This record gives sequence, C-alpha cells and structure tokens, in this order.
Amino acid sequence: MSDKVHLNVNGLDIQSDPKKLLIEACEDSGIHIPRFCWHKRLDPVGMCRMCLVEIETPRGKMLVPSCTTEITDEMVVDTESDVVKKAQEGVLEFLLINHPLDCPICDKAGECPLQDQTMAYGPGESRFVEEKRHFEKPINISEIILLDRERCILCARCTRFSDEISGDPLIEFIQRGNKTEVNTFPNEPFRSYFSGNTVQICPVGALTSTSYRFKARPWDLKSTRSTCNGCTMGCSIELNSSQNKMLRILGVDNDSVNQGWLCDKGRYNFEYLNSEKRLKVPLKSVDNNFEESEIQDVYSELSEIIKDRKTKVNFFLGSNLTNEDYVAFREFSKSISDNEQSFYINDDLLYQGHFGQDNELAKIDDLNSSDAIVVWAEDLKEKLPVLYLRVRQAVKKGVKLIVFGHTNETLSDIADVFYGKETVSENFEIIKDVSKLKEIKDYVIDKNITAIIGKSTPQQSDASVSELFEFLKSNANTKILNAYTKGNTYGAFQTLENIKGTKDFVKDISSENTDLLFIVGADPVGRSFYSNEISGILQGLKTVVSLDLFIHETTELSNYVIPISSTLGEKDGTFTNIEFRTSRIDKLVPSPGQTVSDWEFITSLMNFAGLSSNLNSLEDLNNKAFEGIEDSSRPVFDNLDKPSNLDGIINTDTPTINTSENNLSQSLFYIGEKLYGDSVTERHSESISLLGSKKFIEVSQNIVDKFNLTYEKCSMTQDDLEVTVSYKVNNNLPDDLIYIPINRRDLNKFDFSREITVSPSRVKEGLNVN
Amino acid sequence: MKETILLTKHMRDNPEDSHLIESYEKNNGYATARNTLLSSSPENILEEIKSSNIRGRGGAGFPTGVKWGFLAEDEDRYLVINADESEPGTFKDRILLERDPHQLIEGIIITCFSANIKEAFIYIRGEYAKPARRVQQAVEQAYEKGYLGKNIFGSEMDLDIVVHLGAGAYICGEETALLNSLEGRRGEPRLKPPYFPAVKGLYMKPTLVNNVETISSVPWIIEHGGEEYNKLGVEGSTGTRIFSLSGHVNNPGNYEIEMGSSFGEFVDTLGAGIRNNKKVKAYIPGGASAPWFRGDQLDIKMTIDDVANNNSMLGSGAVVMMDEDTNLVSAAKSIVSFFAHESCGQCTPCREGTTWLEMILDRIASGRGRTSDINLLLDVCDNISPGLSWPPKMTTICPLGPSAVSPITSLMNDFRDEVEDLIPTKVLL
Repeated sequence: MSDKVHLNVNGLDIQSDPKKLLIEACEDSGIHIPRFCWHKRLDPVGMCRMCLVEIETPRGKMLVPSCTTEITDEMVVDTESDVVKKAQEGVLEFLLINHPLDCPICDKAGECPLQDQTMAYGPGESRFVEEKRHFEKPINISEIILLDRERCILCARCTRFSDEISGDPLIEFIQRGNKTEVNTFPNEPFRSYFSGNTVQICPVGALTSTSYRFKARPWDLKSTRSTCNGCTMGCSIELNSSQNKMLRILGVDNDSVNQGWLCDKGRYNFEYLNSEKRLKVPLKSVDNNFEESEIQDVYSELSEIIKDRKTKVNFFLGSNLTNEDYVAFREFSKSISDNEQSFYINDDLLYQGHFGQDNELAKIDDLNSSDAIVVWAEDLKEKLPVLYLRVRQAVKKGVKLIVFGHTNETLSDIADVFYGKETVSENFEIIKDVSKLKEIKDYVIDKNITAIIGKSTPQQSDASVSELFEFLKSNANTKILNAYTKGNTYGAFQTLENIKGTKDFVKDISSENTDLLFIVGADPVGRSFYSNEISGILQGLKTVVSLDLFIHETTELSNYVIPISSTLGEKDGTFTNIEFRTSRIDKLVPSPGQTVSDWEFITSLMNFAGLSSNLNSLEDLNNKAFEGIEDSSRPVFDNLDKPSNLDGIINTDTPTINTSENNLSQSLFYIGEKLYGDSVTERHSESISLLGSKKFIEVSQNIVDKFNLTYEKCSMTQDDLEVTVSYKVNNNLPDDLIYIPINRRDLNKFDFSREITVSPSRVKEGLNVN
Repeated sequence: MKETILLTKHMRDNPEDSHLIESYEKNNGYATARNTLLSSSPENILEEIKSSNIRGRGGAGFPTGVKWGFLAEDEDRYLVINADESEPGTFKDRILLERDPHQLIEGIIITCFSANIKEAFIYIRGEYAKPARRVQQAVEQAYEKGYLGKNIFGSEMDLDIVVHLGAGAYICGEETALLNSLEGRRGEPRLKPPYFPAVKGLYMKPTLVNNVETISSVPWIIEHGGEEYNKLGVEGSTGTRIFSLSGHVNNPGNYEIEMGSSFGEFVDTLGAGIRNNKKVKAYIPGGASAPWFRGDQLDIKMTIDDVANNNSMLGSGAVVMMDEDTNLVSAAKSIVSFFAHESCGQCTPCREGTTWLEMILDRIASGRGRTSDINLLLDVCDNISPGLSWPPKMTTICPLGPSAVSPITSLMNDFRDEVEDLIPTKVLL
C-alpha cells in the first residue's frame, strides 16, 4: 500500500493512503470538515449532511458528503466554496430550528459540537418563527442513562454504536421524517453494559448520565489521562474533576486497546471516591470494637512487631494496586525476611497459565489479524467487557470465532461455533475429541489462532484448560491471551515473585506460619469462592492489618484498618494490562482525610522500623519495578510521559506463578461473576449501586422440573443458611449445573463442595425480595 | 387521438376474469415465456429489449436494456419488481397488478431467464390490498401449473417469486429504500455510492429493480420483437405508456397511448377537456415530484426528452390538470405536506426543511404570511436543493427533499403574484 493518492483540496496538494474517506484524508492533512454523524469508529451513514463539500466531476462541480466519499487520485475538492458554506449554514439552521437552545442548563454546553460548529459555521440568527418540536424531556431509558429527544439531532451515533459495536441494539429510530426520535423498545430499557459510550459520542446533550447530570460545567473541569484498573484490559481513560471531586470518566481512543470505548462499570464505578462512608482515619480493634487511632501509633505498634525480622509475615494483595504498590510490598518483604516469600493475590481462578519461551503471547491487536479466535475462559462480556468488543470487531472483519461453554454464551450470537453441553461436561471438561470436531478441522488446524484461555470457574481442573491450549499449540500457529481478568494482575506478575491465589492461601496460611497478615484492597470474606475458609483463617491469626477504602466483611476481622487512597484518580503509578502493556495511572483529586497510598504506608513503616531501604519516592519504586528492561522501552514515568508512549509500552514477561494444581474437577455449581456485583465500591457508587444488587441463579429446565420451581423465585438452603433468589432458565447449561454469580451478596456464603437444597420459594409471587 | 392497446389488451378483452390464469392462458398467455425458455437464449432476449429501446416506467426513464446489462456477475442475483406505486396522481401499476398479474409474472419469467436470476420479489405498496391479493393468487396459480418453481415449462430454469407488502411508506418506492424495507430494515434510501443495486443490492447481491409496467411490457416485446416495439412512439420514447390522467378533467383515468402527442391533445381528446370548459392554469406532467407547466405550455410533447427539455419530467406518467380556479398556493402546500409526511428522516435538510416549508406555506395560505416569507421560502428550498435548478442538485441522499422543492419553485417562477396576493400588505416586516 505504498501508492499514495494525490488530491487537490482548496488548492493545496495533499496525499493520503488509498481507500480513505475524503473527510479522513482531509483531517489527516489538517483540513477540518465539520460533521455530526461521522465518527471514525462507526460505519459512515451520511445523514447529517454537515460535511458536504464540492468535488469536480465530468458533469461539473457536485456537492457530496465527504464522510461517504472515497478518495480517488487527482480528485479536486473544495471545502470552503460559497456553495459549501451555504450548504453548511443551511444544515446548521435546519438542525437548530427544532433544537431547544437550552444551552444554559445543558451539561453539554461548553464541549458541544453543535454549539461549537454553530459558532464556526452557522447562521447568526434564527428565521424560524413557528413552535419547535416537543417531546417529554428527559426520559430515563435505563437506570443510568437519560434521553432528551428535543436536543437530539438524529445523527444515529448512539444507535449505530449499539448495533455495530456493542451488538445490543436496544435503542433505535422510531417514527419517520420530522417525527423521528430515538427510543427504546416497549418494556425493554437500554440495559447495555456499554451504554455510557453513547453519552460520550452524542454530539449534543441528548444523552446524559445520571452520575454527571448538572454536576459541573466543562470549562470548570480539570482533567488528566489515566488507565482504568477495573479489569486486565487497562482501557485508556480521561478523568474529569471539578472542585476536587471526581465527576466523570471518559474513554480515550487508544487504538491498540479500547479504541475509545469503555464498559459502564469502568465508566461509572467512581462515585465511591466521594462517599461519606470512606475510611479517613486508621482504625484499631480494641476488645472487638474499632477505635480511631493515629497513624503514627499504628506505625510504631507495627514496627515493634516486625523489627526483629523474625515475625512471620504474609501478604494477601488485591488487584487494585499499582505496580509501584506491589514493588513496595516486594521490597518490604525482602527487608523483613531472608526467606523467599510468597505473595497471595485475590484471585480464585489463579492457575499457572501459559507463559514462557514455549508459548507465544498474543497482543490484543492479534485478534484482528488471526484466522480464528478460540475462547474458553470466564465470560468475556462480564469480566473483560472491552476485550469482548474487540472480539466482536475482529469477527466483523471476518475472523472466525470458536467458543467453548458454558461461559461466554454472550458470544454465541456471533460465534461460528459454540460448543455447549454436548462438548463440555458439567465439570468443565471437554468430553469430545477436539481434533475430530469438524469446525476445528475447518477453522483451526494449521491456521493462525489467537486463543483466549483461562479458567472458567474455581472448581474446573487446571488440566482441562491446558489440554485445549496444548492441542491448539501443536495443531495451529497459536498465540495466547491468558485470560486473567482482575485489575492489575499483570502488574503483580511483572513485579512480584512466587505468586499464589486464594486457593493456596486457604491451603497454606495458618497461625503456625503467619503472625502478621497484610490484606490490601481485598475483600475475600465478602466475595470469594473460599469466603468461609478465609474467614476462619483470619479469625485464627494474631495480627491482621487491612488496607482499604471502606469497612467491609474482611476489614471487620482485622486488627488494624488503614485508610488508603484509591488507585482511581487519587494516586500516581503504573498499570500493566493483559498484553503486558504498561501505562500511566494518574492522580487528579486529593486523597481524603488521613488516607495514604499503599506504597506510602509501607515505605513509611519500613522507615519507622528502621529497615533500611533506598525507597524514598514513587520514582524509586517505579524504577525498581522495571529493572532489567532496556532503557528505551522501560515503562518508567519519564518514558511513559513522552507523547509517543501515552498508549503504553509493552514488555512481555514470564511471571513466576506457583499455584498448586487443582485436580478436583468436580463442579456441583458453576461459580462465576457478573459485571455488576455488590462490592464495596459499587455499593457506594450511587448511580450503579442497584445494578448488581439482584440475587439470582441460572438453571436448566431440568432443575426447574426436578425441584418443582414456581413463580420466579426459589430458596437455596444449606444448614442454617437460606437465601431467596430469582432464577432464570438457561438451557445451554448442562442439566444439573446451577450457575451462581458469586459477586452478589450472601451467595458466597454457601459451601460449594456440598449440596445446596433448591426449593420453591415460600415467598408469594409479586413480593420483591432481594 | 386514440389509445394503442398492448399492455391493457387482455384486461380490456376479458374484464370479468383477466386476473385468472385460465383466462390469461386462453388468450395465449405464457406462450411467449414458454417459447423463450425452450428455444431462445438470454442473449437474444437482452438484444430484443435493447432494440426495443424501452425506457424504465418508474420515473427516471433509464433504458431498460442498459440497466439489465449493468447487473454484476454473481451466483446469487435478484429481480425486484417495484410495485410500491405511491407517487400522488399515479395509478397505472395498480391496474396491471390487479387486472393482469399473469402478464407481470410472464414478464418476470422472461426477465429472469435473460438475467439468469432464480429469485424474484414483488414489493407492493401496503395500501394496495386488492392488487396484492390478486398477485399472490396469480403467483400461486403459476406455481400450481409449474410455471414457477423448479424446471419451469420443463426447461432447466428454476424461479421463485415472493410477494411482499410494504407498510405504507412512499419512500420505499425509492429502490434502495425498497431493498432495505424488503430486508426488514427501516425504509431509508441507501448511500449511492457504494450501494448501487446492480452491484450491492438486496442482501448485498446484484439486484435488478424494475417497475411493474416495464416488466409487464416484456412479454409483448419478446412476442412481437424489439423492432416492432421500437416502431411505436417516437425516438427516445418508444412504445406505449399508460398515463394516469387526473385533476380537473372530464374523463380522468388510465390511458395507454404511444408517446409523442402533446399534453393538450391528450387532455382534449381522451380526457374530454377540462370540466366546465375552464382553462388550464397549470398542470403536473409526471407526478407530484415534477415541476409544473403553465396552462400556456400544453403543446409540449408527451415524451421523456421533450418534458425534460422543458425542465420537468415525465416521471411516472401522472398528469394532473389544475384549472383556472385552482388556489395554487394550497395546491403547492398540499404537495409539500405530502413530502414532509413521507420524508424518512435520515437527512437533516429533508427532515427539517420539508416540514418548515409546509409551515411557511401554511402560514401564507391562511393569510398569516409575512413579506419576508417569500425569500425565506426560496432560501429554505435552496438549502435543500442548491441553485433550484432542474434536474435538481441535492444536499440529501435521495431526491425526496428536492421533490418538495419543485412545486414551490414552479409557484414562485410562474405564479409569484398569487403568493404575494395572499400576504397581508399591512404587515410589512
């Protein structure tokens, strides 16, 4: 594609790659053509007619929309002629005649393409004397999105996003002509995991989100670029604050990662930062009651415990730490013990994975260039939502998609093959000879494959996952994305050694080998497959120190609770994503009260205890995190802050994961997680707090018949524990397998290694029990 | 002046049962298709169509043979019959569908034979309930006889026909909107480029979209030869055409005539003159989208080129006469209202502009106009169709928006006094 196309635009010669749209080619050369409906990530529709330009044709000059016109060699274009200007002015006048012009109370005012382009290209005054079009304003089209149809200019960006990108077209144009409006279908709210993107790309204030409505004016916003730490995707984000309060998160177009999109949880799970319930002072448990304490006292009491370097210390680390936080714990552990230390990270599904020289690691972009994608992992839409969008994108480009059950049903609508219960047993083992499956022969053997592989549920045996990957590796040119899904897991991989998961924590930890346990940003008692065991272990330990944002079930069992600042907007650092891409975490708002960063706490404690270290600043930790990497590609702050590196730097690594193998392979239940749950941060983020509150299970029709389930509810009973849940029938599940989302309250309290009795609910129909 | 009866012969000869296959066959129906399939070749058929010089009867008047020749190669190609006859004043396809559906089916068979098509669709406007029932019945009868389905007439050829009813949108007469509607999408015109039906049509496959009257003419052309057809009418507008005459005439109705006589002669003879012996103030030569002619322009010839040379179009063959008592502002408003109501809503200028035009005309017509409204009206028109020229330039995807402009430019060019007279002079703004 070295041949460039030459065009003449406004008398200037420009060149561009062939096949480009005129509007893009002009944009690349610095010639801006106004537009509303065109968006570079969406298919062009040529509807708003704002981007009309004149081109010369054999039949004379013609007005054409530059967003649908492909460039040709020698094309002569005028984007500023009188005819073009008249057309642009005309289109803007048409758009404005029915626009309410309520800019003074509109959230978009100040960053509104309609406002800006009216200033630049529009008519000065209105000639419209009739009454404007009226709609009820605004209407809630979902729990988190509002729609003002009077402001809408019908550019179809939102409807196209829902249709083309997220694949859940729950909003559509209805009516026609002058009565056209965007709306939802009757009784079907715009309940999409990606709905917030439509708010971001709306060129007017028609779509707004509950979390940002009336909170700020764009010209008052402070902003910075950062990285979302909600899952291992590491989407590029822009943080917005006003008056030191975080108010909004926007997606940034990082071509290799999220391409501007975010999931709604990543976008809206921030309001907890401003919550009244945030921990702001250190707490100390005295006679089973928490008392407020001074941080200095905590430091001195803890340093008494550790300074003899004989105390047995262990670490249970969450996934919301920055790489620098992890390094601080690593260095701390080195300084208090000569023995090699294990780090337990808060992941029920952690297993060895596939790294090292024998395995070729995939980049996210490899999805687009493979022949086929093979997925067997946790549900991507629930756990790695933006990766799910990238898979959709690849499939749209013609890449074949092969999905193994029972997770990732959400991909089944676009999958070329979905291997359900006939192929995958209720124990999550493939029960057929993969090499003999016809579609595998057609789409996989000897092809270029990107495999997204990870464990689907804690009870799945590690071997079953590995076998599939080994098959792919030996029969195709396979690259792998190891589908660990939690936050900065890959940052932990890059910075820590001897990494283990919750399963090993339960197996290993006891008062015999642990005097002091640090739990950092994790609530395993509140939401883990191993909740009950962990709760027991914590109660048997002498000293437990929790570092967290809120009081929750795990901090309740701690001796000390240290209030920490959030990785989202309250501290600086770095984050490493699923393809080992490291990018900046940036601070925008002050951390409240006496909160400290994890690394600040640990380095201060080290200083207090007189443990020598060279770690005096975040920069030191940042440097330490990436030792042994060539200077030019080291993701240290100086490098990451270069404009060319804002999208992050990739340094693949071989983590040392030391989990014990799970050979159990007997699943009575399919334990998974939904995108929304009731974690502490979600509970304290007002606009999304109810989205993950509903308790439900999914069952096959067989279970419904077997237990005579009626109404929409059933009871689950085990010993003294009884939980009422609603159930959904999902016939893709094997007959006896029950799906339980473990990130919903109370559901993690069962012992999943034993039977749970399911019975018809005694609660009468119509009573809403949650 | 007399009619020349080709397409409407069977229905006139057998008014009771012309829609039934028995009657059609008794009058030699399907013989042409049978002969074609058994003894002709696709190339021959295309040659005949080309030599007949027939031009599309839907409105644009594109040479049919050329259109067939443009159809891109592909394993799957489709024929779609545009029976979404919705242009105000047009009712010619209706009689062809309702009273001679087998002639259409025979035309489809021959067309598909020539273009190597195995699946055809007849898209009928939603309001045409009876014609749709008749066509459906005819298709079923043809299947029973083995004239559709596998191995038609014992030949190698397979053909299926699907009858589909629209849902009441004028815009679905625009061929790409029709294809969208047929696929189950919103009836909105597609972008051209890249979605030219002959290349990326129905389900993104090469698709031939032809009008009912065009395809109904095919059996006669093949039976008698393209040369014979070419002898009828005049150069550039060969053959016969069914004109729908309406408005203030004594004898409104459908008339099949050879193209070439003048509008005046047509109205005076077949239309039996203007009612109450009034004079013609203005008339529409080719459907609501066409710019009007004045009453002193009745000597214009009824051919595609003559009408075009006088800055209008023969369009769908709907001739509407307006006598000297007609309130032309109201007439224009009524046409603009129609287009505003039928705008699909995609393009800003059409969606917003047509309704605005309607509002302004309504104000003027009801005596609430302002003097500035005349320039406003023309400027809004100009923003939909820059330059107000003919054929129209467009700021929109399809010509619906500019169609709403035609009656206003006609009004302003030729009858500006009538508009100004309605504006109260005291209120000078």
